[in-house]
Formats: sequence, C-alpha cells, structure tokens
Amino acid sequence: MRQVQPRQNNLGIGGWIWAGNYKLERYLYILHRVTGLGILLFLLIHLTMTTVFRIQGQDVWEATMSILHNPWFKFGEYLVVVALIYHALNGLRLILQELGFLMGKPIPPIYPYRDSLRKKRIWTMAMIAIILILCIVFFYDFIAGGW
Amino acid sequence: MRNSYLWFIQLVTGVLIAVLAGIHTVWMHLDAILGFFGVDVSGATKWHSMIERSREVMWAGIYIALLVVVLYHGLNGLRNIILELTPSARTERIVTWSIVAFGIIVFIWSVYVPITLLST
Repeated sequence: MRQVQPRQNNLGIGGWIWAGNYKLERYLYILHRVTGLGILLFLLIHLTMTTVFRIQGQDVWEATMSILHNPWFKFGEYLVVVALIYHALNGLRLILQELGFLMGKPIPPIYPYRDSLRKKRIWTMAMIAIILILCIVFFYDFIAGGW
Repeated sequence: MRNSYLWFIQLVTGVLIAVLAGIHTVWMHLDAILGFFGVDVSGATKWHSMIERSREVMWAGIYIALLVVVLYHGLNGLRNIILELTPSARTERIVTWSIVAFGIIVFIWSVYVPITLLST
C-alpha cells in the first residue's frame, strides 16, 4: 500500500514571508513581524539621533534637523507612523484574543460546524478599517504640511 | 515557565507602548490637525523647546520609562523571532545573552544623555 507522507509544516525561514496554506490572519501576523522589525530599526536610528547628535549642542542638533526635514525623510517618517499604527492595533487585537475576548461564546459542535476563525474575522476587519482611517488622518496631516 | 513570564511582560509592555508612543506620535506629527483645535505643537523639535523639556525631571523620567519598555518589547520580540528557528540550547543562550548585552549598552548610553542634559 502506498504510504502517504504527512505534509511538511515546518516552513523554516521561508515561513517568515510565505504563509503556506493559512489565511488572512497568518499574513497579518507576518506583517506584524515585519513592522516590528522595521520599528526596532527605526528606534535604534531615533535613539542615535536624540542622543549622539543632541548632546553635541545646538549647531549639530539644528544641522541634523535640517537634514531630517528633507521630503524623503518625511515620507519615511510617515511610513514609520503607518507601521506603528498597524503594529499597535494588530497587537491589541492579538492580546485581546489571547486573553479570550472577541472569541464569541462556545456553542455545541452541531453540523455544519462554525470555526472560531469566522467568529474572529469581523473584529479583524474592524481593526483593518480603524487602521486605514488612522493612516488617512495622518496622511491628511502629512500633505497639509503639518510635519 | 520563565518564557511564560517573559511573554506576559511582552504583552504588558506592548499596551504601555501603544499608549505612550501613541501620545508621542500624535504630539510630534499631527501639527496641522492639533493646530486646528488650537493646540500649537509646531515647535516641538526646535532646540530651545527640546532643551527646555530636557531640564525637567518629569520629562526625563517619562523618557527613561518609555525607553525601558520599548527596549524590552523590541529586543524580546527580536529574540522570539530568532528562537522560532529552534536553534540548539547553546545557540539559544548565545542569542539571549548577546541581546541582553546589546540592550544594556543601548540603555546605559540612552539614559546617560538625558541625565546629563538635566543640568545644562
């Protein structure tokens, strides 16, 4: 008899960017990780800027600020804000779900079964909507010249 | 068990950062919208405004508190990503202690500057 090999589920480094057979939530998880690493990189640059350049006095600080007022840096800052908004709101969703909220009440397993993913999906969509609204608000401020 | 505590602290620091960094981001970047409501934050990055805040113990305290939670959350998150590759126990120890050492160096340097600026 032909032996059926179980599907390999250890994706290794490839699993960092490819979600295999999983759905939307797994891609949100990958994006959570990517934004987290991006924010960590920004944090180190930000700490360098606010320590090394700040302690050298007014002239160095103002020269640094004038470089950072370049439109490309401003756009980069906007991307960091978008990453922060996403990482914070998706993180709050994950915390609430880990603590058992937003999961719906348990129901008897009567066919057709309703999986928990579909119960959570509406909250996931609501989170995405809030993220988009906040990104638009910050983008408005960005093009209005507030930055 | 130890990893459960580390993960619980990760969740708590995550909520704290969402609140503190949220306020920081709004204060630093929503100039036009806050200006519409009569709140002027346009000069927050100017030298005199920044150095004035640096002389206040409260701001230095908030900065150091935010630094602690952000460094823990960021570096523990990085450790979790690396350890997901299930390295050997020896590699895990090397990764953990390298990240702890890096965090301590960044913390000491980043705290030295606001404490020095308190007396400028």
